[in-house]
Amino acid sequence: MHDNAVFSHKVLPYFLIAPQLIITLVFFIWPAGQALYQSFLIEDAFGFSVEFVWFENFIYLLEDPEYWNSVRVTFVFSALVALVGMILALLLAAMADRVVKGAGAYKTLLIWPYAVAPVVAAVLWWLMFNPSMGVLPFWMDLFGYDWNHYVNSGEAMTVVVIASAWKQISYNFLFFLAGLQAIPRSLIEAAAIDGASPFKRFWQIVFPLLSPTAFFLLVVNIVYAFFETFGVIHATTLGGPGSSTKTLVYKVYEDGFVGLDLGGSAAQSVILMIIVITLTVVQFRYVEKKVQY
Amino acid sequence: MATVSLKNINKTYANGHQAIENLNLDITDGEMLVLVGPSGCGKSTSLRMVAGLETISGGDLYIDDVRVNNLEPSERDIAMVFQNYALYPHMSVYQNMAYGLKNRKVPKDEIQKKVEKAAEILEITNLLHNKPGQLSGGQRQRVAMGRAIVRNPKVFLFDEPLSNLDAKLRVQMRIEIKRLQQEFATTAIYVTHDQVEAMTLADRLVVMNEGNVEQVGPPIELYEKPATQFVAGFLGSPAMNFLDASLNGNRLTLSPDVVLDLNDPNLPTGAHDLEVVLGIRPEHMEACDEAGADFTLSVDMIEPLGADTLLYGYFPGTDTLITSEQPGKQQFKRGHRLALRIDRERCHLFDKATGKRLGS
Ligand SMILES: Nc1ncnc2c1ncn2[C@@H]1O[C@H](COP(=O)(O)OP(=O)(O)O)[C@@H](O)[C@H]1O
Ligand SMILES: [Mg+2]
Repeated sequence: MHDNAVFSHKVLPYFLIAPQLIITLVFFIWPAGQALYQSFLIEDAFGFSVEFVWFENFIYLLEDPEYWNSVRVTFVFSALVALVGMILALLLAAMADRVVKGAGAYKTLLIWPYAVAPVVAAVLWWLMFNPSMGVLPFWMDLFGYDWNHYVNSGEAMTVVVIASAWKQISYNFLFFLAGLQAIPRSLIEAAAIDGASPFKRFWQIVFPLLSPTAFFLLVVNIVYAFFETFGVIHATTLGGPGSSTKTLVYKVYEDGFVGLDLGGSAAQSVILMIIVITLTVVQFRYVEKKVQY
Repeated sequence: MATVSLKNINKTYANGHQAIENLNLDITDGEMLVLVGPSGCGKSTSLRMVAGLETISGGDLYIDDVRVNNLEPSERDIAMVFQNYALYPHMSVYQNMAYGLKNRKVPKDEIQKKVEKAAEILEITNLLHNKPGQLSGGQRQRVAMGRAIVRNPKVFLFDEPLSNLDAKLRVQMRIEIKRLQQEFATTAIYVTHDQVEAMTLADRLVVMNEGNVEQVGPPIELYEKPATQFVAGFLGSPAMNFLDASLNGNRLTLSPDVVLDLNDPNLPTGAHDLEVVLGIRPEHMEACDEAGADFTLSVDMIEPLGADTLLYGYFPGTDTLITSEQPGKQQFKRGHRLALRIDRERCHLFDKATGKRLGS
C-alpha cells in the first residue's frame, strides 16, 4: 500500500459522489430553500416591495376555504387514482398470471402506457372525452347521456382520474404480476385441497401475500397522484369547472404563475414538501422493516 | 378407509407432451403405494391427477368405487404433502392445520380438539402459535404432515416430501411417516426418485420410466426379480452391473475366457447366440482363489465406505466398468488383482433387444 496515491482516501469518496451531490443541490435543495424563504415573504406582483411576514402566508392559507377545498379535491382525486389504478392492475395481473400462450406480447402491451408522457396521455383522453368532437361523448349521446365535463364537476373528476390512473396501471400491473408470480403454485393448490373456493383462495391466501406489494404501490400511487398529475389536469380541465379538479399542486401553479401570489404559492409548496417527506419516510420505514410472515 | 384405482389413465399436457401412457393401478385399503422413477418420468403428474390438480386426459379414476375424474380436489377427500411443504406463510401453525377444517365448516371447538390432538402426535404442540417462517425444515415437514392428518382424509398423497431435508433428518422423517401411515391405516400414494426411500416405505412399489409402468410389486420381489433391465438398474445401491453376453441354451458367454453354465430350467429353450445382458449385483460376486474364479478384476478405483468397500475396474477384455462390493475389513490397493466368482443363483438375464427378463 502506498500512502502517496493520487487521491487521499478523504477526498476520493467526495469526488465520486460529487455529480450526484451537485444535481441534488442545484435542482432540489436550492429551490426548496428558495421556496421556504419565499413562503415568509409578501411581494407585490411587480416585485417592487418585499415584506418579511413570518408565518402570515401560512395562516392566510389555513383560513382560506378555497385552500381546504383544494385539500379535499386532492384527497378524493388521489384516493380514486390509487384505487382505480390498483384494482384494475390487480385484475389484469391476475389474468396475465394465468395466461400461458402469448404471455410476453400481452405483458408488453400492458406496459406501453407507462412509456407515454403524462401530457400526451392527457391529450389523448382529452380528445376522447371532448364534448364536441370526442368519441366517448358521441357514444354516450347515443344512449341519451349528455356528457360535458366542462360544466359537470363529477364528470371532470372522472376524466382526470381516468387519464391519470390509465398511465399508472402499467406500473402497478408490473409489480402485482411479479408479486403474483412469486407466490408458489403449491400454496394455491394446497388451499384448493383444503376446500377453499377460488374467491377464498384469492382473499385468504393470495391477497395477504400480496399486501406488502399493495402497500408499496399505494404509497407510490398517492405520491404520483399528488405530484405528477399536473400535466394531466392542465391539459384536460385546467382545474375546473369551478375548482372541482384543482389539486394542491395545480393550485400552487395557479396562485403563483397566474395569480402572481408568490408568497402564498411558496407556502403551499412548503406544505407539499412536508407531505412528500412524510410519505417517503412512511414508505422507507415499512420497506426497511421487511414483512413479517 | 379407501381404495384408489386408476384405469387406463392418460395424460397429455397442453403443449402436446404425453406424460402418462395408459396407467393402470389398484391401491388397496390401507396400503402404502410408492411411485419411484427417475426425474421427469411422470410420477408427480400421476399423483396430481389423483389429487385433482391436473386434469385427466383419458381413462377413469375411482376412489372407493366412485368415479372422481370430474370432482374438485376438495371433493375427493384427499390430503397432500408437497415437496416445498406449501404452508401458508402468513398463518400460524395452528391456522395452517385448521384451515381445511374451517373451510369444511367444522365447529370451532371440534377444530381445536383435532388440531391439538394432531399436534400432540407430531410433537409440535409448542409451535402452534409460530409462523412457518420461524420453523426449521424438519418442523415445517411435521406441520405439513399435521395439516394432512388433521382432516383424516381417505387418501394421503406425498410428492417427494423429504427431498428438502438433510440426510439424517430424511431418515428420521421417513420412519415417522411410515409409523403414522400404519397407525392411521390410511391408504397412501408416495412419490419419490430416491430408491432407498422407496424400498423402505413401500408396501408395494411401482417403478416408472418415461410415462410407463415398468413393474409393480413388493419391494423385495422387485429387487430380487426385476422384470426389466431398467428396474434392475434402478433399484439397489450400488447399482447392478450389466455385461453384454450371448446365450446358447444354458451356456452364457461373456467373453472367450468367461463362460458360465447357468442352471435355469426357465431359460428359453434352444437359444442360439441370443444377445443378452447379464445383470449381477456388486455384492453377488465373491472373492475367491484363482482356481475357482470366473475372472480377475484389476482394481482401478477404491471407495472404502466403512462396513463395505467398493472396488471398480474393467471387466477383462471389455470397456465395461463394473463394481464389486467386498467386506470393509480387508485392505485393497490400486492395481490389486481380485479373483471373483459370479454367483450363478443371482444372475439376472435380460433380452438385449427388449430389456425384458429371461428365465427365472
Ligand atoms: N405443465 C406441464 N406442461 C407440459 N409438460 C409438463 C408439465 N408438467 C410436467 N411436464 C412434463 O411431463 C413429464 C413428467 O413430469 P413430472 O410428472 O413432473 O415428472 P416427475 O415428477 O416424475 O419428475 C416431464 O417430461 C415434464 O417435463
Ligand atoms: Mg416430481
